Amino acid sequence: MLEIDGLIAQVGHFRLGEVSLAVAPGSCHAVVGPSGSGKSTLLGAILGTLPVLRGYIRLAGEDLTALPIERRQIGYVPQQLGLFPHLSVRANLLYSARARRVPEPVYGPLLARLLEITGIGGLLDRRIQTLSGGERQRVALVRALVAKPRLVLLDEPFSALNESLRRELWWLVKELQQEQGLTVMLVTHDLTEAYSLADQITVLIDGRQEQSGDKAAIYRRPASLAVARFLGLKNLFPARAQTPGLLDCPAFGVQLRIKDSKVEGEELWVGIRAEHVAVRRPNDPLRPDETRLSGYFERILDLGDSAMLHLRTPSGALLEIRCRHRLLRSYAIQEGKMGIVGLPADELFVIRS
Amino acid sequence: MSLKTLGFGVRASIVAALAVLAIYAGLILSLLWFLDPEILRRTLWSARSLFSIRLSLYAATLVTLLALALAIPAAYALARYRFWGKEATEIVLEFPLIISPAALGATILIFFNNPVGEWIQENIVYFVFNVAGIVLAQLITVLGLAVRMLKAAFESVPPELETVAQTLGAGRTYAFLTVTLPLAKNGLLAALILIWAKALGEFGATLMVAGSMAMRTETLPIAIFMRLSSADIEATVALILILVVIGLTALLIARRLLAGSARA
Repeated sequence: MLEIDGLIAQVGHFRLGEVSLAVAPGSCHAVVGPSGSGKSTLLGAILGTLPVLRGYIRLAGEDLTALPIERRQIGYVPQQLGLFPHLSVRANLLYSARARRVPEPVYGPLLARLLEITGIGGLLDRRIQTLSGGERQRVALVRALVAKPRLVLLDEPFSALNESLRRELWWLVKELQQEQGLTVMLVTHDLTEAYSLADQITVLIDGRQEQSGDKAAIYRRPASLAVARFLGLKNLFPARAQTPGLLDCPAFGVQLRIKDSKVEGEELWVGIRAEHVAVRRPNDPLRPDETRLSGYFERILDLGDSAMLHLRTPSGALLEIRCRHRLLRSYAIQEGKMGIVGLPADELFVIRS
Repeated sequence: MSLKTLGFGVRASIVAALAVLAIYAGLILSLLWFLDPEILRRTLWSARSLFSIRLSLYAATLVTLLALALAIPAAYALARYRFWGKEATEIVLEFPLIISPAALGATILIFFNNPVGEWIQENIVYFVFNVAGIVLAQLITVLGLAVRMLKAAFESVPPELETVAQTLGAGRTYAFLTVTLPLAKNGLLAALILIWAKALGEFGATLMVAGSMAMRTETLPIAIFMRLSSADIEATVALILILVVIGLTALLIARRLLAGSARA
């Protein structure tokens, strides 16, 4: 298990602090955040390329902060993959065995299995420059794993690939993780990648740990405005809690029904994900757990399998809605036409100002 | 693409490039006017010339090895680490380039006239008017260039590769020897040849520190100076041609090696 407790690290004038998180054995933890949020600083502290000012990093109970990089037993796949261009694929894969003087009978079975899973057995005598992007990713992954690391750090390793190749490699990482029981920390700014691979997520913004926890919780209940905005939420509006279960929302000029248990008598922000806003027909029966809003569809973005709609309410607020593409026709949704939407009480969440 | 279809600017730049070739090739070819094959043969095989060739090759090779031994770790530190005095060190590297070799040689000579310099000469090595002085003068002339070239070579290797090597269990030295050094090989070879060629042709600082004593501190450039001073033009031409042939051979070998390692 990786345990980070009260970690503070600094690079030049940038300070990352305090970060506390735990990665359970065999699980995948994603660290997400925009550029300059401190992801690389956290990674450097775990790897050992940056000094830790305060706090602890423990791996399987051992304090890593005093260990040199080569003794931390961390498998590292950086964004540029770090393959050695002057060595063949075979020499790249055997680098750790040669550096640590591990005999063939020790690493051989694992290497054979990894080659089988990743399908790169036929590339061993090739030079790195002759490999495709996907082949390079596989070589980098196998090279990191054949060293039997206690933790695998993936630093945006799939960012340079096209969509279909990335998805293919996500499946591969999942398979490797489950079969080999790998403990993985994934650093990425790609939320889809984080949601696809990770069990737990930590959000870093401006050098601060904004939120950590189960990925579903972070998806549904961002803890701060900064997290909500980083997660791409556009539907965020100032509100005030008046009575339990109801929120005054001046942006819509109505009271919103809400189930979020955190609501107290204070200034808040209320939010809802675009995909949780329900498109309704005028004759659909009213639901007690939903607030209805009307407006006109200002813009429609066709995303292929889905559509993104902008609904302008009479009060001037703009609501973003994501719905299935077929709803456009069945609900006769068109730009400039009036429409009705419902905000389910259990999908609305609040963020303290 | 034919030259006629190119714009004026492109044509002018190509003419300028050919003019550079013409200047140097013209200078070398003009030597042939005074070339007497018999004198060339006699000069080449004379004991004095052979001494100069041997001394020049010996000093340039030793200087190159010493310069690399000091420049490789220094350049690596400058390329990879931040430390107190780094900026000052980088500025000092330009020192041999901005002052003339003669001034640099005079500075070394003056140093050996202060108490520290005198102590070194009396207790460690006697440099002034000695072969050790040739090596020292050439070393100080080329060291800045060596560090600058090697620093650029190390900077061309992403530090991340060393980090990855370390995560794979390599210590710093193993990572340097198996990753950084092979990847910096081209820059290292280029630096090695240029340092050697520059040391071979060094004159000003060598003359100041080691003087011009026949069969003692007479490197090839010093020999050329001495022959020209005694108005022996044919022998001067012969020695210049020897220097040119040695230098060009070294550069050709370097180009072959670099082309070979680029293909590998």
